[in-house]
Amino acid sequence: MTNAAAELVPATRNALSLLLLAMADDEFVIGFSDSEWTGIAPMLEEDVAMSSLAQDELGHAQALYRLLAEVVDDGRDADAIAYDRPVEGYYHARLLDHPRGDWAASICRRYLYDTADAVRLEALADSSFAPLRELVAKIRREERYHEMHMTAWLDRLASAGGEPRERLLAALDRLAPDAATVLAPLPNELSLVMAGIIDATGDELDARWRAKIGRVFERLNLSMVLPVADPLTARTNHSDAFRWLHGEFTAVRSAQPGATW
Amino acid sequence: MAEPEVQEWEVFRQEKEGDAMRHGGSVMAPDAELAVHYARELYGRRQESIRLWVVRRADIHDLNDPDLLQPPLDRSFKKPGGYVMRDKLAAAREQSGTHKPRGNAG
Repeated sequence: MTNAAAELVPATRNALSLLLLAMADDEFVIGFSDSEWTGIAPMLEEDVAMSSLAQDELGHAQALYRLLAEVVDDGRDADAIAYDRPVEGYYHARLLDHPRGDWAASICRRYLYDTADAVRLEALADSSFAPLRELVAKIRREERYHEMHMTAWLDRLASAGGEPRERLLAALDRLAPDAATVLAPLPNELSLVMAGIIDATGDELDARWRAKIGRVFERLNLSMVLPVADPLTARTNHSDAFRWLHGEFTAVRSAQPGATW
Repeated sequence: MAEPEVQEWEVFRQEKEGDAMRHGGSVMAPDAELAVHYARELYGRRQESIRLWVVRRADIHDLNDPDLLQPPLDRSFKKPGGYVMRDKLAAAREQSGTHKPRGNAG
């Protein structure tokens, strides 16, 4: 266990573990899901860009799982946490349970996720938990570009009219009920705020996120009807689409347990 | 709205501070913003560049006319090779009492 984690009282350490698990699983699942575009994105350059974004997320997930392994300190390493859980054990937001869908759906899902993630990372920028603060500083520098690229695409799909806009609106309709799940309050999060690990609770982060994307949605004339997420179901009851993805990303590791590549 | 036309963009990259911008290659993109994003992916995502310039290929004025660039007559008198400066420079330094500056071709 890191010294920083050993100094936390058990309740705070548990809450921190859930925050790290939520963040790591979010990055892991969207990374794997978007990597499904490799080879079939709309054009070669975008294929490289989307694959590179997906790869960045897997890198962030790896760093977060490593930190989680140190905080939990139960003998599991980052790979064991990432790959050796049943479907029910994953703690990503339901927004990421939606299948990759068409290009507009992937852009819409990633835009909603990247903007929420940016709000979450900003709330950790001055964290009292030094290992997380240092990691977040590095992750934020990469996420800046993710948000730029997704905003560029959202702009184009929303402004193009015709089929691109129709597909975007259809995707937003499907994703809207789960859009706010990324920032839904986490169990015992108040202890994290009290300890200065994060600077606000989920409700406050949700408000910041709405203010942030509200300006863009207004400019692009998109509906901001995004229901507040129920914290009890925001990260549970994963979909069949995730069940399939889980089978894909665990296939190699479960084929030969313990093997290294 | 018509589908935006994808066009060629030339990418120039600088490897480190003080280096010249060198041609890296090209990307296809519908507009300057995405061209810059794609240039970043193809010529910068491995931290191999500290600066990129992205130029629409159509904005480059091309000159490859052999009559203008490779005329057939003897043009050796336009090359500076006929002037040997080294000895004159050495003599001038001798006279002024200065030494050849270090790390400089003089």
